[in-house]
Amino acid sequence: MTDAIVSLTDVHKYYGTYHALRGITLDIRAGEFFSLLGPSGCGKTTLLRTIAGFEDVSSGTLLLDGKDMARVAANKRPTNMVFQSYAIFPHLSVAENVGFGLRRSSMDSAAKARAVDEALEMVGLKGYGTRAAHALSGGQRQRVALARALILKPKVLLLDEPLSALDKKLREQMQNELRRLQRQVGITFILVTHDQEEALIMSDRIAVMFEGEIAQLASPQDLYRRPLTRRVGEFIGVMNVLPATVSGQEADIAGLGRAPVTPDQAPSGMPEGTAGAGIRPESMSILYDGETTTRRTASGEVVEVFYYGDMTYYDVVLPGTTKPMTISMKNVAGRPVLDRGTTARIAWDAEALVLFGDT
Amino acid sequence: MGIRLDKEARAGLTLIAPPFIFAILLLAVPLTAILMLSFFSQSYLTLDTTLTLDNYRTALTEPLYRLLMLRSLAISGCVTLATVILAFPIAYFVSFHVAPSKKSLWIFLITIPFWTSYLIRVFLWKVILGYNGVLNSSLQGLGIIDEPLTFILYNANAVVITLAHAFAPFAILPIFVALERIDRPLLEASRDLGEGTVGTFLRVTLPLAMPGVVAAALIVFIPTIGDYVTPQLVGGPSGLMIANWIQTLFLGQNNAPMGATTAVLAMLIVGVIALVFVFLNRRFLRVRR
Repeated sequence: MTDAIVSLTDVHKYYGTYHALRGITLDIRAGEFFSLLGPSGCGKTTLLRTIAGFEDVSSGTLLLDGKDMARVAANKRPTNMVFQSYAIFPHLSVAENVGFGLRRSSMDSAAKARAVDEALEMVGLKGYGTRAAHALSGGQRQRVALARALILKPKVLLLDEPLSALDKKLREQMQNELRRLQRQVGITFILVTHDQEEALIMSDRIAVMFEGEIAQLASPQDLYRRPLTRRVGEFIGVMNVLPATVSGQEADIAGLGRAPVTPDQAPSGMPEGTAGAGIRPESMSILYDGETTTRRTASGEVVEVFYYGDMTYYDVVLPGTTKPMTISMKNVAGRPVLDRGTTARIAWDAEALVLFGDT
Repeated sequence: MGIRLDKEARAGLTLIAPPFIFAILLLAVPLTAILMLSFFSQSYLTLDTTLTLDNYRTALTEPLYRLLMLRSLAISGCVTLATVILAFPIAYFVSFHVAPSKKSLWIFLITIPFWTSYLIRVFLWKVILGYNGVLNSSLQGLGIIDEPLTFILYNANAVVITLAHAFAPFAILPIFVALERIDRPLLEASRDLGEGTVGTFLRVTLPLAMPGVVAAALIVFIPTIGDYVTPQLVGGPSGLMIANWIQTLFLGQNNAPMGATTAVLAMLIVGVIALVFVFLNRRFLRVRR
């Protein structure tokens, strides 16, 4: 790829005998919002720190903007980082924090002060320059950390779980602002997160990592609709997986019955024989009394009800299966929430199925 | 009238009463006694309790007092400087380059010299620095010098060397604690923002370690200025300090009021310097957290 700003080829990282990164090959395009998503310990932070220069690669190559970074220290790389703890210097004011990296620039002090003001304004902290760093709230620290990194106009901005310490409301607000900022400055953002929703909302592309390897690299929509493996499917949102038998273009799914399938529905290749059939909660719905449908139907017993206000999630056990599957229903005025123990009719779509080779 | 105390305050006062009384007896009473004594005067064997400022006049006008006080300040200043400068790299090494699991072992090892009596450690330095001591005989044996060095014992240099060694752990510990409290991501952030090793040290590590450095300086400076054992044993005539003179006044010349006056003045000077240190520390501490 010619427009790759970050390019990794077969990157391995060992800590002693521990194999933290197992052959990462990855191209990140200039100007995209890229997320590294995975559970804790999957190597996503290690990968980010490798790009930043805090860890060196054990083998493989790392190119930043086309240049090999093997012998380049963190302070010489065209990257800047927003740390999980924000790492705001406690002995400096807000303006001194934001201007920290400008010391080596050729700007005169008036230009530096102007740049600091602009950076603060960009993150919505205009007039906060003289405040002491310790007097800031969590969200404000986050903004200072952003301004401090962006003021240096890096080629790549690295964000290490920057929102995990914030409460839900503030996190949603910052997700919005991060996206706005990224579009505004046009810098490549690489975000590390364990929050799949956050990754889906913010990213142009997402790399899902398990055990030091990239399990899937795709756009949020592809990742959600066509997960390569059962594990990816279950990590991104909720995925109900039922045992199935596949022969040719037809699947026999436990509890749901027979349905036609296309190769498009098996992203990792059409399985033959025993397989797993995945279906998302919103691809099924519960039919109320008298309701008719042209969709496929099945029935099962409601074993658990989770009321969320806007949505209700039902755990339903289908005949011939033991593991309940989750069905989500939008709550509509005049439609009652079902009780536990009810036998419910279910409508579902064969096109929504995803087939996995592993069951 | 009277202050109404709630239950909690009463319980608190009861709790602190014994140590408070203890402190009064052992600190406030002797201090007051010394202060009173400094306004008396001695006429041969009897203590004249008429209040007078004569002692202070003497202390402030006679050159000997100024000489000894300035020398004490200079020696203690040198000791403080030497100790802090030597202690910082050790504390830095233990904090940044020793595996976390081994840090407490290192700190424990650093305190080992303290298991020996202070007096024995001073004598040890006499043995090392003496005319026919370890250092001189080694250097002579190696042919580096022909005559034994005489400037290393029985003068101010010897006092500085001995005290700097004795107080090293007191300086290492507060600096170590300050370094330990520095969040490591701050150092990475500094590197990420373009600073190299030296820049990061000067702009992040050192400023954040300053409270520890100031505390170390204070802890070394205050006790060393009042030390009289070390100057007496290794200082020789040119290494005598103000505390030696106070001792001479009390015991040798039987002039307790004059000794008390000298002590009060020395305490005042040290107190002022300590306040400067405390103020400095507050300035460094205020910007934290």
